[in-house]
Amino acid sequence: MVNKKYMKKLLIGIIVLSIAACGPSKDEQAQDDFENQLAADSTQSKGPEISPEVISAIIESIPSPLEISVLLKESGTKYDISILNASNNTSKYNSNYSKALNLGIYGTDLGYTNIYAQNQDGLDYMSSIKSMADGLNIGQFFDIETIGKLATNSNNLDSLLLVTTQNFNAINTYLQEQDRSHLSVLLLAGGWLEAMHITCQVSSKNPSNKELQEKIGEQKIILENIVLLLSFYSESFPDIAAFMIDILELQASFDTIEITTIYKESTMEIVDGIMVIHDNSESNVNITDANVEEIKNVTAKIRSKIIS
Amino acid sequence: MKKLFYLLTLGTALSFVSVNANAQCNADTYTNTCIPKLSSGFNFLKSYKIDGAGGGKSKVEYSYVFTKGTQYMINICAEGETTDGIVVTLYDSKRQKVGTSVYNGQYLSGMNYPCNTTGIYYITYTFENSANYCGGSALGFKR
Repeated sequence: MVNKKYMKKLLIGIIVLSIAACGPSKDEQAQDDFENQLAADSTQSKGPEISPEVISAIIESIPSPLEISVLLKESGTKYDISILNASNNTSKYNSNYSKALNLGIYGTDLGYTNIYAQNQDGLDYMSSIKSMADGLNIGQFFDIETIGKLATNSNNLDSLLLVTTQNFNAINTYLQEQDRSHLSVLLLAGGWLEAMHITCQVSSKNPSNKELQEKIGEQKIILENIVLLLSFYSESFPDIAAFMIDILELQASFDTIEITTIYKESTMEIVDGIMVIHDNSESNVNITDANVEEIKNVTAKIRSKIIS
Repeated sequence: MKKLFYLLTLGTALSFVSVNANAQCNADTYTNTCIPKLSSGFNFLKSYKIDGAGGGKSKVEYSYVFTKGTQYMINICAEGETTDGIVVTLYDSKRQKVGTSVYNGQYLSGMNYPCNTTGIYYITYTFENSANYCGGSALGFKR
């Protein structure tokens, strides 16, 4: 049997070579005032063995936590701020590791408050986000004044969602360009974990809502990619290695969940100048109440470590 | 093994993508144009740059996890009101074609995909008789 570690290294080599064969790497951006910050981010000089392009592609494939918030609202779930991380917890987060994870958590919380049009709460979370982002030297992406104006009127909900989504996308791009992708991964992992937490909490109060349970089970696919991303940095960053142990425990709680797909060729039609695809395939998630309970508990345990 | 397959697929896909930015393609302009063109009710998720390096690249590809029960929209913007021969094609996790924005020689400005199958999808942009090989795209969702 082929050793898994050996296979991973071989695979990384193949990918790096295949990308390198396409041409020279992206022009390096001029170093700016964040050099000290970059140095602080790197506990070891050795970076991941995989190319930035591959890492970026995986990061970009992770769905937005906003999708979960929309699902919750449209399924009739009432707004509940008590399940979110308190916006005044910011002083607890001092390391870049902690700031990046909690920036992701607060980002999901902001999306949740925005979807429910809870503007004052949203402003509080925006302030927390700004604090975390400033601490990571990426505060320039949040124009508090503009966002504050948008948040004062619920008619601006679409604009508010757009601006905040664009800000987080820009941060991810920037961190990757600055060779700080590990922070981007942490931001993403924190955001995903918070969405998991919110979904599990709501699901446990509404066990008859099978769609929510399926949504939790589907996260098995996304978690696989998050574990993959963390694995690229676990050797270089002890904090990430420790976090990954927790995340692997969470992944283990998904082991018995099965996602099956019945494939049927899709059909298409043009409606108002847009191609509309009819997906004739179907995926189903086999998840039990016990699975949900276990996932909820492990998620809460990990989250508690991060936000405390 | 699933990880290996995923990484190999991703690596192969990326091998088609030159990492050199084409200075003459300001894709940001087109992504900014595309975001407000998402149909009513769709929430913006991602913007994608489509830089064909003046014809040097045969395709530009991104991936995203689509989830069952969610409707996605992907649109295309290029110079003027047309798509300049840019075609978006969606493939599922097994690389089976799900849909495309070209139909009987007609280049449509986007596609709408009510997803019934959760999984990773590949959003691929190709060029057919394109003049500028440059554009932008936005991805949105609604329930």
